[in-house]
Amino acid sequence: MSENGVLVRGATLQKHFGGIMAVDAVEFAVTEGDLIGLIGPNGSGKTTLINLLTGHLIPDAGEVYLRGRRVNGLPAHGFAAQGIARTFQLTQLFGRMTVLENMLVPGLTRPHSTWGAVTKRARTYLEFLNLAHLETLNAKNLSGGQHKLLELGRALMLEPAVLFLDEPFAGVHPHLRDELIKRIHELHRSGRTFVVVDHDMESILRIAQRLVVMARGRKIADGPPALVRADQTVLAAYSGL
Amino acid sequence: MRGLPVYVLLAATVTLLAYAHLLNSYWMHVAIIAMFYGILASSWSLLAGYAGLFSLGHMAFASLGGYASALLVQWYGIPIPFGMAAGVALCCAIGGLIGWVCLRMSGPYLAIFTLAFSEIVRITFSTEDQVTAGMAGLHTEPLFHSVSRLPYFFTAFGLLAFSLAVMGAIVHSRWGLFFRAVREDEQAAAASGVRVAQFRILAFAIASGFAGLAGGFYAHYIGILTPSLGSLDLMAVVVVMTIIGGMERIPTAVGGAFGVEILQELLRAYGQWRLVIFGIILLLTMRFARNGLLTPLWIQFVRLGEVRSVPPPPRDVGQEGSRI
Repeated sequence: MSENGVLVRGATLQKHFGGIMAVDAVEFAVTEGDLIGLIGPNGSGKTTLINLLTGHLIPDAGEVYLRGRRVNGLPAHGFAAQGIARTFQLTQLFGRMTVLENMLVPGLTRPHSTWGAVTKRARTYLEFLNLAHLETLNAKNLSGGQHKLLELGRALMLEPAVLFLDEPFAGVHPHLRDELIKRIHELHRSGRTFVVVDHDMESILRIAQRLVVMARGRKIADGPPALVRADQTVLAAYSGL
Repeated sequence: MRGLPVYVLLAATVTLLAYAHLLNSYWMHVAIIAMFYGILASSWSLLAGYAGLFSLGHMAFASLGGYASALLVQWYGIPIPFGMAAGVALCCAIGGLIGWVCLRMSGPYLAIFTLAFSEIVRITFSTEDQVTAGMAGLHTEPLFHSVSRLPYFFTAFGLLAFSLAVMGAIVHSRWGLFFRAVREDEQAAAASGVRVAQFRILAFAIASGFAGLAGGFYAHYIGILTPSLGSLDLMAVVVVMTIIGGMERIPTAVGGAFGVEILQELLRAYGQWRLVIFGIILLLTMRFARNGLLTPLWIQFVRLGEVRSVPPPPRDVGQEGSRI
């Protein structure tokens, strides 16, 4: 590790789609042990930033560093191999594969992994996420909330250094949202690093230790939640001023 | 698959091989062609059913494998098995190349691209008649100088068994899991660490190699090769066989190949109408049994002899929250 525990860093990242600047000169660093809330109104560039930092998009300008090493152009599977895991805004599971098979895929991409060891680990995580009794079901047959949990489990199977969760609470029953927050807290306490993306300020404030706010493709605030909440620029962005 | 179904399959296979000599020449030919299609349908199932790559160029690879083997044997006098192996290697290489070229294509784009490739191959073989004899047909060296078709029957059986063993091992390995993950969602597969590009290329290379193997055997069995081996008509036959049987399982695809080939012969009296019948069966399959007609039967067969455990007591699933 280098740069004082910085695991992932985006330097002056820029990405545009047609005439729209989705991410504009954004500086973003994730340090080991962080639990970052990344918020912003719809269309503020949160998901694009995550896509840039996980290899799903290549920046038009700027650099991406993993543990201090420049990795621009590294494909998404390369990021996963380096311990960068993510979930998607709209859950993307392997629908016609069983819950257990969904968990096995990332586990078996790890070097020197064996079916026995990976299956055992998958079942441990399924127990942790209360999905163990569903392991033989096809993923498409789960409820929306269970989809979110399974996607989290699949990301955990990479034994990641950083987990980027893109809108994990979207469309989820409030009771399930509480359970998800509980699991994220437990995982964070066990040493995981998280970046949780959402536009629901209330949920994010319940977990984030650091808050980053984006609006119109730019980072407009970064700091402790209490300070960011009181920031006039943030209030203006959220009220559409 | 283990236990009783394995024994049943083994017993059926041994019986078939032991009594194969009782088949008359006509039905033995039908069985040999069914096994040829079995290799093609199972490898297309690997490509389209497992990896989700709906290619229409599969018969072009059979054609390439056939011509490569026939011409190498004719030009250099090499033994036929070496010619067939060279055809397989060529098909693997070109298949991998096609897989690489159309990495970013899927669905109808991939189908049209591979269809275009298939037509290029067919028209090239047709036009270069000084080399391939064009539509007049290329006379090939027979695999056996025997009046009986029995040696061909055993060879076709051996090649089919070998193909199924290799493809079965692949689909039950982590490669098979990754193929299915790529089929389901390429972005999620990449986020899970799967080298999507590598596995797409691999699926094309493997499936094309088996198509080349089938084509090589066909060339040295039939004795004359025409560019129509790579035609869209025959590609449609392979697609129909695989879909009617069940494209997401290799044994059901083979079952589809046997079923359709045998039905084609039984319905021969109906002339072109039998093709209409197959069309209707295909439509009904797509509408009412998208996993294929043989898939439910195969699932029941694999479960034969399974010891049923006592189901666990039902969980309280009254609320979504209680299910997490």
